[in-house]
Formats: sequence, structure tokens, C-alpha cells
Amino acid sequence: MASNMKAVKLRIKSVQSTMQITKAMELVASSKLRKAKERADICRPYFRELHKTLQDIADKNTDFSSVYAGKPSSPRYCFVVIAGDRGLAGGYNSNMFKYVDRVSEGKDYCVLPIGKKAVEYYRRRNREILTDAFAEIAKVDVSDCFEISRLLCKAFRDGEVGHINLCYTGFISMLSQTPSDLAMLPLEDLSREVSEQEARRVRELMLFEPGEEEVFNAIVPEYIAGLVYGGVCESVASELAARRTAMEAATDNAEEMIEKLNLYYNRARQASITQEITEIVGGAEGL
Amino acid sequence: MNTFPLRIGTPDGLLFEGNVVSVSCRTITGDLAILAGHINYCTALGMGRACVVLEDGTRREAACIGGMLTMVDGECRVLATTWEWKEDIDFERAQSAKKKAEEMISKGGLSDREFTLVEAKLHRALVRIGLSGK
Repeated sequence: MASNMKAVKLRIKSVQSTMQITKAMELVASSKLRKAKERADICRPYFRELHKTLQDIADKNTDFSSVYAGKPSSPRYCFVVIAGDRGLAGGYNSNMFKYVDRVSEGKDYCVLPIGKKAVEYYRRRNREILTDAFAEIAKVDVSDCFEISRLLCKAFRDGEVGHINLCYTGFISMLSQTPSDLAMLPLEDLSREVSEQEARRVRELMLFEPGEEEVFNAIVPEYIAGLVYGGVCESVASELAARRTAMEAATDNAEEMIEKLNLYYNRARQASITQEITEIVGGAEGL
Repeated sequence: MNTFPLRIGTPDGLLFEGNVVSVSCRTITGDLAILAGHINYCTALGMGRACVVLEDGTRREAACIGGMLTMVDGECRVLATTWEWKEDIDFERAQSAKKKAEEMISKGGLSDREFTLVEAKLHRALVRIGLSGK
């Protein structure tokens, strides 16, 4: 009994130290989350407007002379996958990868991973990686996004890839984050499904100045950078929220375990005392 | 005067939303002004001074750098890389940025990529300074 008690005591101690860590991580995540959420909230309108504007353009576009607007030169896909730098964030990273695996099924594709976990995941699977220069998502800022966009546009212009999709985790609320993907290039992928009725209507035209090609060449890199930046902001906020929730649950579980172990420990202690008393009483009677 | 809805967005947030009489800014091919009733239109923005005339006739000036301007079904959207209202610009910082960029260019020895970066910095500083009207 005595050795059992010692084991329980040790177990309580180890659970306690784990709880300390999870509690600290929860606090760190929630303080970082506040800032990340603010950034995501600020960026979201721009992200939405940008995507909507390009959708409008894609719907109304009639001239396919620009590389960005025409038919894709290659059936190959490129997925920009945004994941976290660290684990211990519940299902955040694995949900993202599962999602990408699902949407990319049956497609020939390469990836541009952002975040250490994404880089590791695709390297392990020997997937072709466009660049692994953005392995630290915490450090990615607007100028990095322009760099990413430059790379993507170059690959697209050279015909290495024909479609570019952005996979990020949308921040819906503190408790819910869902992976989603967004077609970025070519513009054709963007245009909304037009219903029969609307298709029959004459398409409204749009004036491009000085010309479609010049305009697209100027705005597409900026548009991609904007979308990637928006995706990064959303994903960082989602990661922190996921980590906070996961750590909160872990802390609660640890508390519960400690309670149970304490109860067990006290029972064992009491039992051993009772036993001792019975032994003494039994011994005294024998005298 | 007829007005139309305008939204100005940058990665730093939605900076303006409301009805305006006109908006003018510098595009890649030159200055341009948009009034109500413009046809569907799209162009890329260059670097320069932008000006918005509000419903009540007040003019607000800003430095506008990069991005695009679209007019879709009577609604205008300006999505800029940088859009700074005149009153928010830190002119001293722009002056020092200009000096620094000029020094780097005159020193030379920059790679092509560095040179374009410094040049862009100088451009941005000049736009900001130009707005001060001094």
C-alpha cells in the first residue's frame, strides 16, 4: 500500500507540472490571439473586397489576351497551403492537410507551404515544393506576401502551373475555424457559376484602361499578395484560437485527473491508517 | 451633384465607405477622375496624389500607391496597397526616408532587385512629400 501511495503522489506531481505548461500555453495563446484577431479583423474587409472585385472582373471579362485571363497553359495545380509553426493546436494542422488532400485528389499538383508544419508535411511526402523560404508563419508580413506573389506569378507565366489555389483556415469565431480554399488564378476559375437564365442575358462589358493585358499584369501580382496576406492573417488567428481551445481542454482534463488521484490517494491513506489501528487493537487484545 | 458609393480598402483596413461626388487619382497611365454614372471600368493605380470630394463638398487628399480601381454597376472600389490620408502622413519620416534612399542610390553598388526596392521607397517618399504642398 505504501509503495502504491508513493506512485500516486508522483503521478499527481507529474500531472500538475503538465497542467502548469498547458495553462501557460493557454495564456500565451490567448494574449497573442487578441492581437492576431485584431489584425485579421482589419484585413478581412480588404480580403473580401479584393476577392469580390476580381470575381466581378472575371464574370465580365471577354478578352482573354492576357496570360492571367486566358485558358490555363498547364493542367498542373499549385496549392498555397498555410499551416502553423508548431503543434499542440488541436486538429488545426491535420485538418488543413486532410482538407488539402481531399481537394487535390486526382490532380497533379505542387505546393507552396507557409508555416513549418506545412513544409515538414510535404517534404515527408516528397511532394514538389515551390519554395520553403516561408517556413515561419509568425514572421510573414506584407512584403513577404509580395515575394510569394512574385514567385507564383512567375511560375504561372512560365507555364509551370496552370491553376493556383489558396488553402487557409478561416477564422469564424473563437471556437470554430474551418479550412477552406480559394481559386486565385487563372481568372477563369474565379468566375461564379452562371445560371442558365443569366447566361442568356447579354453580358455587361467592362472597360479596361489602358488595356486588359496591361491592367491584369499590374493588378494580378498585387491581388495575389493581398489574398495571401489575408489568408495568413486569418490562419494565424485560427491557429492561436485552436491552440487556446486545445490547451483549455487539456488544463481542464488535468484538473479532473488531479482531483481523482487526490481522492484515490486520500482513500489509500485512510485505509492504511485504519488497517494500522485494527492491527494495534488486534495486537492489544491478543495480550 | 450626383453621388456614388465609394469604398477604399487597404490591407490595413477599410479606410472609407460612403457616398462621394468624385474621386480622382493617378493610374499607371495618368490622372483620372471618376464621377457618378461611369460605365463599368477597371484600371491599375500608380503612385501619386488622390483626391476625394465628399457629398458636402469637402475635399480630402491622400497619398495613393499601387492597387486597383474598379467601377462595377455604379459602385466604385479602390483597393490600394497604401492609401494615407493627408492628415495621417508623417512628413518628417517621409523626408528622412527620401534622404536615406537618395544616399543609397548615390552610393551605388546595389543589385537590380535592391535598386528597384530603394527606388520604390524613394518614389513613395516623394509622393508623400509632394502632398504636403511645400
